[in-house]
Amino acid sequence: MLKHFLLGLALTSSLCTAALAQEPKMGGTINAVIQPEPPGLMLALVQNGPTQMVSGNIYEGLLRYSKKLEPLPGLAESWTVSPDAKTYTFKLKPGVTWHDGKPFTSADVLFSVETLRVTHARARGNLVQVDKVEAPDDLTVVFTLKQPFGPFLGIFEVGSMPMIPKHIYEGSDIKTNAANNAPIGTGPFMFKEWKKGSFIQLVKNPNYHIKGKPYIDSIYWQIIPDAAARSVAYETGKVDVLPGGSIENFDVPRVSKLPNTCVTGEGWEFFSPLAWMWLNNRQGPTANKLVRQAIMYAIDREFARDVIWNGLGKVATGPSASTIKYYTDDVRKYPYDPAKAKALLKEAGYKGEKIRMMPLPYGETWLRWAEAIKQNLNDVGITIETVATDVPGYNQKIGEWDFDISYSYLYQYGDPALGVGRNYVSSQIVKGQQFNNVEGYSNPEIDQLFADGAVATPDSKRKEIYDKAQKILVEDVPVAWMLELQFPTIMNCKVKNLITTGIGVNDGFRDAWIDK
Amino acid sequence: MLSFVAQRIVKGVVVLLAIVVMNFFLIRLAPGDPAVVMAGEAGASDPQFVQQLREKFSLDKPLPEQLLSYVKGIVTLDLGFSFRQQMPVSKLISERIGATLLLTLTAFAISLVLGIFFGTLAARFAGSWGDSAITAAALVFYATPIFWLALMAILLFSVYLGWLPSFGYDTVGANYTGLAYVGDVALHLIMPAMTIGLFFMATYTRMTRASMLEVKRLDFVKTARAKGLRDNVIQRRHVLRNALLPVVTLAGVHAGTLIGGAVITETVYAWPGIGRLMYEALLQRDYNLLLGVFVVCSAMVLIFNLITDLVYRLVDPRIEFAS
Amino acid sequence: MKAFWKSMLRHPGGVIGLVILFITIFIAIFGPTIFPTSPWRMVQRPFLPPFTNPAVLLGTDALGRDVFAGIIYGARVSLLVGMVSTLVALIVGVPLGATAGYFGGRVDDALMRFTEFFQTIPSFPLAIVLVAILQPSIYSIVASIGIVSWPPVARLVRAEVLSLRTREYVQAAIVTGQSNSWIIWREILPNALSPVIVLASLMVATAILLESSLSFLGLGDPNMISWGYMVGAGRTVIRQAWWITVFPGVAILLAVLAMNLVGEGLNDALNPRLAKGSR
Repeated sequence: MLKHFLLGLALTSSLCTAALAQEPKMGGTINAVIQPEPPGLMLALVQNGPTQMVSGNIYEGLLRYSKKLEPLPGLAESWTVSPDAKTYTFKLKPGVTWHDGKPFTSADVLFSVETLRVTHARARGNLVQVDKVEAPDDLTVVFTLKQPFGPFLGIFEVGSMPMIPKHIYEGSDIKTNAANNAPIGTGPFMFKEWKKGSFIQLVKNPNYHIKGKPYIDSIYWQIIPDAAARSVAYETGKVDVLPGGSIENFDVPRVSKLPNTCVTGEGWEFFSPLAWMWLNNRQGPTANKLVRQAIMYAIDREFARDVIWNGLGKVATGPSASTIKYYTDDVRKYPYDPAKAKALLKEAGYKGEKIRMMPLPYGETWLRWAEAIKQNLNDVGITIETVATDVPGYNQKIGEWDFDISYSYLYQYGDPALGVGRNYVSSQIVKGQQFNNVEGYSNPEIDQLFADGAVATPDSKRKEIYDKAQKILVEDVPVAWMLELQFPTIMNCKVKNLITTGIGVNDGFRDAWIDK
Repeated sequence: MLSFVAQRIVKGVVVLLAIVVMNFFLIRLAPGDPAVVMAGEAGASDPQFVQQLREKFSLDKPLPEQLLSYVKGIVTLDLGFSFRQQMPVSKLISERIGATLLLTLTAFAISLVLGIFFGTLAARFAGSWGDSAITAAALVFYATPIFWLALMAILLFSVYLGWLPSFGYDTVGANYTGLAYVGDVALHLIMPAMTIGLFFMATYTRMTRASMLEVKRLDFVKTARAKGLRDNVIQRRHVLRNALLPVVTLAGVHAGTLIGGAVITETVYAWPGIGRLMYEALLQRDYNLLLGVFVVCSAMVLIFNLITDLVYRLVDPRIEFAS
Repeated sequence: MKAFWKSMLRHPGGVIGLVILFITIFIAIFGPTIFPTSPWRMVQRPFLPPFTNPAVLLGTDALGRDVFAGIIYGARVSLLVGMVSTLVALIVGVPLGATAGYFGGRVDDALMRFTEFFQTIPSFPLAIVLVAILQPSIYSIVASIGIVSWPPVARLVRAEVLSLRTREYVQAAIVTGQSNSWIIWREILPNALSPVIVLASLMVATAILLESSLSFLGLGDPNMISWGYMVGAGRTVIRQAWWITVFPGVAILLAVLAMNLVGEGLNDALNPRLAKGSR
């Protein structure tokens, strides 16, 4: 017997009612900012932020996710899970076509899964528990798992598992296929033109599988390299949408107050970026747990949120963001307390040895933040030498563990098994990587808890396991968690219904329309 | 004269090859490589993925082999493939170089015309109140950091006055054609071109002024004056022509360097030129693209130097075409 | 020497330049002692406008740090970078140019090819690449500015040496069997000094501009505050806090202006023939 987990159709219709409060109008063009210029738009090959943002309009995944991270129908219109939680059956939406008119079928899904296993590092990780994928008919796909995998329904978002056309890529070298320059997907918008250094234009897909959508005729993604110039472009009406992170934080309050401007922090629930300081657990003063705890007490995270992030975001309590599953705040707390930090440093026997700090080279906000923290640490007697790098240097030094303190923010993908465990389990201590256990924290108990948590059933059992893991981690401070980040999307209020899911702008402009 | 040009071209090719070799190694000294950057951006960087990318970019081959295949390409005017942008480097550069040439040549023309005009004016009324004003203004522009001037100009002309667009090459999505398009581009061009132009104008103003005053004292001018030629005629025919020699030389040097040097202006005004391309290529360790831009920029410098020498020889017939 | 000062002081621009320069140097040396608040310390609420609180006369930046303190401490870095990198350029350029000019022939040819080679590579992009390779720090910045700015020095010195070489006293020294290096250092270079000094003063100005441009692009030394860094950091908030960008911008302008004025003054003072002609 198959238990119906969720019937997607019912959920869609309820979402529609909310959106229909105002009748969408057809037509119009949206100008949005894209930063930096993406290296390519073929989502199976390139997965950086800008590519996901633009290509989320061109490609689609089997599922989408609400702001509460419940799965919503995408290219799959319904899905069922077997009682032993090892077989997932997806029913594909009939009548879906690729931009070139060919039908989208289960063969494409199989092809995409196999391709992504090679080209898409994160998808490969997500699919580890998959034993086989089969297509009993054109519109059915069955995933069979080796063992139950709690977060499995969370891996089908467009950026994590985009569907690519088999008829175009089969038998060719996917990396050099000419179609990569004019990608073909099933999405609401089609690739039109890319003028390097200036803009990328997408146009409405007239044969989109949801009748009447999309509403907009055309999207221009404008490439403006300077953050100040981007906010001027918005101010002078040259662009309508500033996706999260397009302008420097310090400029957000001013731009938000401009007339006819709407701001939302929604649309990042699926990613839930969490910012922290990497503390090298292997060597130097930061190898000492007491020093790491002292650092937690020494940094003024409220100040960072209020001044550097303009009050946006939340002070992090531990390894999980409060928006993802199994979060708990029943853990040790680290308020701003320089006196306590000094006491801990004394107890640890720290004598002012020089600690090298490498800021995240992602723009002014991160540099200012590192400067503020340097001052915080100086105040409690920690000697900091700032090491400057650019992005490639940063990537390399992080991968080679060549730092004492550094910074990062990582996406959590809704489930601790997908986006949290990787930073703390010892099997993820692998040189040359930068999104895993870079700090070198190693604790057999934590390893066991995350191993159990991924495959445990039911949910209550998983919660119990992750509660315990969070408690231990917060006590040990493998990294210094700072903020749950919020990247506000700023737009002209005439743009309606832009962000409807937990994936936000990356989920495409399918439902957006312009009020004239 | 032909042999002079031929000789210069041969020398230029040698210099270019040396530049290729030096930069080839220089760039690879920087920490991180394109595979590391791209893996980082993909949000997943397992060693297998990085290795895949390295193989794809041929970065796993020994350095001499990489260099050899690169130089082989250069000889056939093939600048290689941009790893990151998935495109031939020559295509990327040719897409952008037009914008840079338009910007720098306009800036160059502005600076030269204004510089010579004001310089002549200042020399004509040397020692007067006007001379001091021009000299002072020139110095101030010369001392102002370009990025700062650019920011102030955007504030004034785009934000407060709303006269000029603050970024880009044309109005995206407006689809102007014909004259309307030319006008649109011209409007976008004004601020960036003026920003660069004013800086170099200052140099030419000072140079022209000094040079004019120098020439004025020379004998042939005195002779001309003694012959009773009118002051205007002397200025135009004798003084200006001779005074411009050093200005032309300097301008030739500038014209070449301007092309690679517009990084900041292109960044602040989002002008889609190769200065910006170069900076982005550097930050992404896109080796071939970065090298390609360097080669093209250096070739431009050589070409402009050659043109300058030719112009110099035309202006001053006393110099012969000897090497 | 007396004559030099006299003619220098007759040049009003030069005097203004000297005054600004001395003030800047004074600030660079003694400023941090007189004014001990670190420019990195967050002292007041962020974005405090200038001239509202006498404790932070020029206002505060995005983190509440004192802009005035930044100007004071930045003077040190800007001047240091300007002067040391010029020194680097002189150390490379002077011997190179002197050797080329003195020996002539093949040596001259080879060295001038080398110089041309460096002049062919666009200098600002080269400086950017060098700093990126060495990773931003005060040393890499000084080194790269020095490396891109020595060719004009070499050319100038070469031209001077070429003309001085034919002078009688040099010929006499050659005939009396003095060693080449002695002749170059004792007989030729001291007489070629004045145009080099003029050029060097202008190069300090250019180096200050270069450093600020590098900092503006985020390639400054993160452990040292400089004016260019301040402009770069302030530009994103230029709309709500003009003072963060304007004051350091003016500081750069003044310092560069002063160096240029001094350079011109020196030029007139050291080349009195020209000075009279242009008056």
